[in-house]
Amino acid sequence: MVDLSTDLGFIKLKNPVITASGTFGYGEEFQDFFNLDILGAFVLKGIYKNPKSGNSPPRIHETASGLLNSIGLPGPGAKELQKIVKRIHRLTKTPIIINVCGESDEEYIEVAEIFDKMDEVTMLELNISCPNIKRGGKCPAQDEKHTYKLVNQIKHNTSKPLIVKLSPNVNDISSIAISAEQGGADCISLVNTFLGMAVDLDSKRPVFKNLFAGLSGPAIKPLALKLVWETVQSVHIPVIGIGGITSGRDVMEFILTGASAVQIGTINIVEPKASVRIIKEIKDIMKKLNIESLDEIKGKLKI
Amino acid sequence: MKEQRCFVKENKKINENYFLMKIKSEYISKNSKPGNFVMVNVSETFDPLLKRPFGIFKSEPPFIWLYFEVVGKGTKLLSNFKKNDKISILGPLGNSLPEFKNKKILMIAGGRGIVPIFYSIHTYSQHNDIFLVYGAKSEKDLNLYEEIKSKKLKKLFLYTDNGSVGKKGLVTSDVKNIINNNKVDITISCGPEPMFKTLVKKIEHIGTENYISMEALMGCGFGICHSCAKKTKNNNYKQVCTDGPIFKMEDIKW
Ligand SMILES: Cc1cc2nc3c(=O)[nH]c(=O)nc-3n(C[C@H](O)[C@H](O)[C@H](O)COP(=O)(O)OP(=O)(O)OC[C@H]3O[C@@H](n4cnc5c(N)ncnc54)[C@H](O)[C@@H]3O)c2cc1C
Ligand SMILES: Cc1cc2nc3c(=O)[nH]c(=O)nc-3n(C[C@H](O)[C@H](O)[C@H](O)COP(=O)(O)O)c2cc1C
Ligand code: FES
Repeated sequence: MVDLSTDLGFIKLKNPVITASGTFGYGEEFQDFFNLDILGAFVLKGIYKNPKSGNSPPRIHETASGLLNSIGLPGPGAKELQKIVKRIHRLTKTPIIINVCGESDEEYIEVAEIFDKMDEVTMLELNISCPNIKRGGKCPAQDEKHTYKLVNQIKHNTSKPLIVKLSPNVNDISSIAISAEQGGADCISLVNTFLGMAVDLDSKRPVFKNLFAGLSGPAIKPLALKLVWETVQSVHIPVIGIGGITSGRDVMEFILTGASAVQIGTINIVEPKASVRIIKEIKDIMKKLNIESLDEIKGKLKI
Repeated sequence: MKEQRCFVKENKKINENYFLMKIKSEYISKNSKPGNFVMVNVSETFDPLLKRPFGIFKSEPPFIWLYFEVVGKGTKLLSNFKKNDKISILGPLGNSLPEFKNKKILMIAGGRGIVPIFYSIHTYSQHNDIFLVYGAKSEKDLNLYEEIKSKKLKKLFLYTDNGSVGKKGLVTSDVKNIINNNKVDITISCGPEPMFKTLVKKIEHIGTENYISMEALMGCGFGICHSCAKKTKNNNYKQVCTDGPIFKMEDIKW
């Protein structure tokens, strides 16, 4: 028997596969495809305090093995999501993670506090890295001081384990990761999408109204892996690797690099049953490598 | 909805740009209704990454048919599929048209918009009077003429931009007259965006119940990614993949 469980310190997950925010809806949409109980955990799509309608189309553009998105986080607002969380908690005992968003520090704190009070919620993931902001805008995860201050305030106002989700669109990921850790983060997840751009030769205009959009999918895997490596080297808290994962093999590579768990994103959109396949592939690889627990390989990259 | 690996049973080239693909899927063929679509995995690699949406043209268990136009990379790859190749498809997806009885229904199809219309004719012609307006750029784009003629139609009006078959002009040219002369109760239309825009102006206030089948850029096809948003009259967004692809004409902001 291989043991797929992974210990994040504050919680033990039955396996390292977590579905990523914005690519898994509220989970319930996937019930037709598989039993949610099989997942390590799942992150709901990002939520603001008030309802939001999202960006005007076009909202996606396909690239070679990648996807640019400028969805703009449409959602029903925190109040409505509370009802949804109660509903999905009845469906599965798999840990539910809330992806907390905000347009201001105050909003982040308010949203975090709302879900901190819910027993149905296991962890909060602070999305300080959404790239779909107005042209020229910056997200908190692009600034060390802002990251520290915001994480610190949220930590003071909440009691659930806090994952801080970082942006890859920075010069020095280590210093941002350290700021999040010093601010009180219990765990770091990375990466959110890479800023990219697409232009339309016919109209001579950018494809997206916001000019930039977020790139995800297999195209970003090597970039994500490098940032996960640098982060693992600089902090003492567990790291969740995200970016371009589509197979059990990809998961094992992130774990070998030092990630304690992973999130799978875009592949959920393309192949709804991807997580079922990936979990099975992890088991098969562990058997083949003759390892019984993930600890035997975690962070064991030979440099 | 289910994702399944299915067998391609035939991929017939209708002309330069159009293909009719027969796929074996017991599940989709038995569960589909007019208006539904499927997401098709056109490549086993990650390039292109996303599945492509296609309406269901015909469904006779255990088979479904897709009728597609080659417009880019994905549809080009789809055109290369051969008999007995495996293909992953997700479906049936989207909402569907309601049931009609003893109605006079005008169907309006522009180009590949014939897909949901063909399925609808098949379903509704038994208990309703069907009038069809079908138009395309030229004769070579106006395919499936024989298949369509075989259907039980009250009247058929053909149009081409250059007049090579049927009348010269746009599908929308005479709809107002056709509706009035035949006392049409319901219209169902599918075609490119400009066709809808013209159509709205002509028939919005004529008193018919108007259904349309819309296209949009799609990521997932089952309501997860929010990429298929269309603005409604009251400035909200609807998702074409789950709230549609069938909409009431007056609900959309044109
Ligand atoms: C609900 C629905 C049903 C459809 N049914 C049919 C059908 O029955 N037969 C058929 O031939 N086509 C249908 N389409 C359109 C079809 O999905 C696109 O033509 C196809 O995805 C293009 O893929 P590609 O890789 O060949 O083109 P790409 O290389 O991706 O793009 C080529 C061109 O096609 C346009 N395009 C890309 N995706 C779409 C899309 N989802 N909708 C409209 N235009 C698009 C692009 O803007 C571009 O101009 C349908 C679309 C939707 C949303
Ligand atoms: C359509 C879409 C929506 C997303 N929405 C969110 C979101 O609401 N919150 C968030 O933190 N990340 C969001 N992301 C980022 C993903 O969670 C993930 O970090 C990123 O896509 C990289 O992983 P991947 O390559 O496996 O997709 C979104 C990504 C996509 C493609
Ligand atoms: S295509 Fe993903 S939500 Fe409609």
